[in-house]
Amino acid sequence: MEERRVLSIQSHVVRGYVGNKSAVFPLQVLGFEVDSINSVQFSNHTGYAHWKGQVLTAEELNVLYEGIKLNNVHHYDYILTGYSRDTSFLETVVDIIKELKKANPGLVYVCDPVLGDQGAMYVPENLLPVYKNKVVPLADILTPNQFEAELLTGRTIRTAADVMDLLHDMGPETVVLTSTDLLSKHGDQFLVALGSQKIKKADGTRVSQKIWMDIPKVDAVFVGTGDLFAAMLLAWTHHHPADLKTACEKTASVMHHVIQRTIAYMAGPGKRPSPAQLELRMVQSKADIENPATVVRAELLETSVH
Amino acid sequence: MECRVLSIQSHVVRGYVGNKSASFPLQVLGFEVDSINSVQFSNHTGYSHWKGQVLTADELHVLYEGIKLNNVHHYDYVLTGYTRDTSFLEMVVDIVQELKRANPNLVYVCDPVLGDHGSMYVPQNLYPVYKNKVVPVADIITPNQFEAELLTGKNISTQKDAVEVMDLLHAMGPDTVVITSSDLPPRLGDRFLVSLGSQRHVRPDGSRTTQRVRIEVPKVDAVFVGTGDLFAAMLLAWTHHYPNDLKTACEKTFSVMHHVIQRTISYAHDLAGPGRRPSPPQLELRMVQSKADIEDPAIVTEATVIS
Repeated sequence: MEERRVLSIQSHVVRGYVGNKSAVFPLQVLGFEVDSINSVQFSNHTGYAHWKGQVLTAEELNVLYEGIKLNNVHHYDYILTGYSRDTSFLETVVDIIKELKKANPGLVYVCDPVLGDQGAMYVPENLLPVYKNKVVPLADILTPNQFEAELLTGRTIRTAADVMDLLHDMGPETVVLTSTDLLSKHGDQFLVALGSQKIKKADGTRVSQKIWMDIPKVDAVFVGTGDLFAAMLLAWTHHHPADLKTACEKTASVMHHVIQRTIAYMAGPGKRPSPAQLELRMVQSKADIENPATVVRAELLETSVH
Repeated sequence: MECRVLSIQSHVVRGYVGNKSASFPLQVLGFEVDSINSVQFSNHTGYSHWKGQVLTADELHVLYEGIKLNNVHHYDYVLTGYTRDTSFLEMVVDIVQELKRANPNLVYVCDPVLGDHGSMYVPQNLYPVYKNKVVPVADIITPNQFEAELLTGKNISTQKDAVEVMDLLHAMGPDTVVITSSDLPPRLGDRFLVSLGSQRHVRPDGSRTTQRVRIEVPKVDAVFVGTGDLFAAMLLAWTHHYPNDLKTACEKTFSVMHHVIQRTISYAHDLAGPGRRPSPPQLELRMVQSKADIEDPAIVTEATVIS
């Protein structure tokens, strides 16, 4: 097995599956070496009735990175980041990524630009310019939801292609819109996800592949699913670097299996499950993570030449 | 299997010690692992450089409070290892005691990390805390010979001494004791080292029995870091599956160690090149590559039952 090393800079929760707790185990199960910097350590995610813990400052992040660099082990194939609340922390992340890209120009930065959802931001507003001007330009793979895609591009989604092409122009060659309000042909029990990847073919021509996925909706609020999605997209685009359709089918399928297992485990009929009960059934889903049966199909929309 | 472990150990960004060494293998074996990171360092302290931050006893308490406020402080196991701070260790003891009140069947697996080869490598003032507070609440402990001697005040020169030391450790609290390495002369020759285990059971009629085992494991010509943490985690897992069969639990645990170490040595030598000593980064345990061995370790070390 070839050696692939990921640096993941995300939250740590003592209990549950968000941030690094959501990303690291599945990546390790798939054979990736994962170095993880915990941006916070909280008892649990902030959807519970109570949460307590400590945050890492930008300075402390820099100190940890310095340790890695002093030992000359700052060589990564991938970087993965997600939810962040602090502009100076995010800016330090940007500096680190720039240095790591100088150390390995082939490095792939997978970025979930967490800004908000359903029309409202849930991080401080001053993170938007940092994402727009500094983070997204460095990203190679981006996993915004529709709201984040519209916020970053300043455009609303009318057609599938235009927003994704604008995001490509900002930097990332691979963009997956993880959820949109577009109408699914299967009806309102499904949501639509879209993907777009710019590839350079062997003969030198540049094409962009666009895909469309209809994903069954679930009647529950899960936390950590976006983090799992980005991690699994990292893994499956690694295995299928020029085939976004397959990479997305595997990623969406893993999500489906984990979510279904979690739903099945929850509180009995008539009771709304608590956040503690809704924690992803991650370790129980190991076999699905290793080898996800394809249950979500992506359609190739178009391949256009650039 | 719904089994939840609270592991309070170090976190390193890179490499496999503390929680990095314990969590993945336990998760791979299907355990739910809640982890409190007692420190966050770039890497373990055997590298040329290391940098990072430590968690204070107060911050540990705050994290535990969060868990408790949500009423999710219900664990089947607690696992602890290397600690440098007495107030942190005392807070760990308080937490373990509370968790045992919440679940009287909780099993506390404790690696009483004090030192090795005749000297302490933690501050001396941790010793009375381990002796008087930690070991008495432990159910499974994994001292090396030095730690076993230090905790009991008795030297081990013969197997009989080792058995007496393990009985003294039982009397202090834990029903399961594994002396992970010793200087006792191996029967298989000097390429091996001797480990011993002892487990006390109470029979239904109230009488007590003790199962004792001896294992000889191949020595390795390298210094590994994180192996003790992996050992304690895997002993947790295999005593969970074999609660009354220390022989099998030890065979599985020592076998997993062997597979991971062999894979690591091979890879380290490949990286370092012929005739060169591998560096600490090169010697990091090949943990993710050993998943299959962790899930189902082929038995390569046999434990002998001794009286």
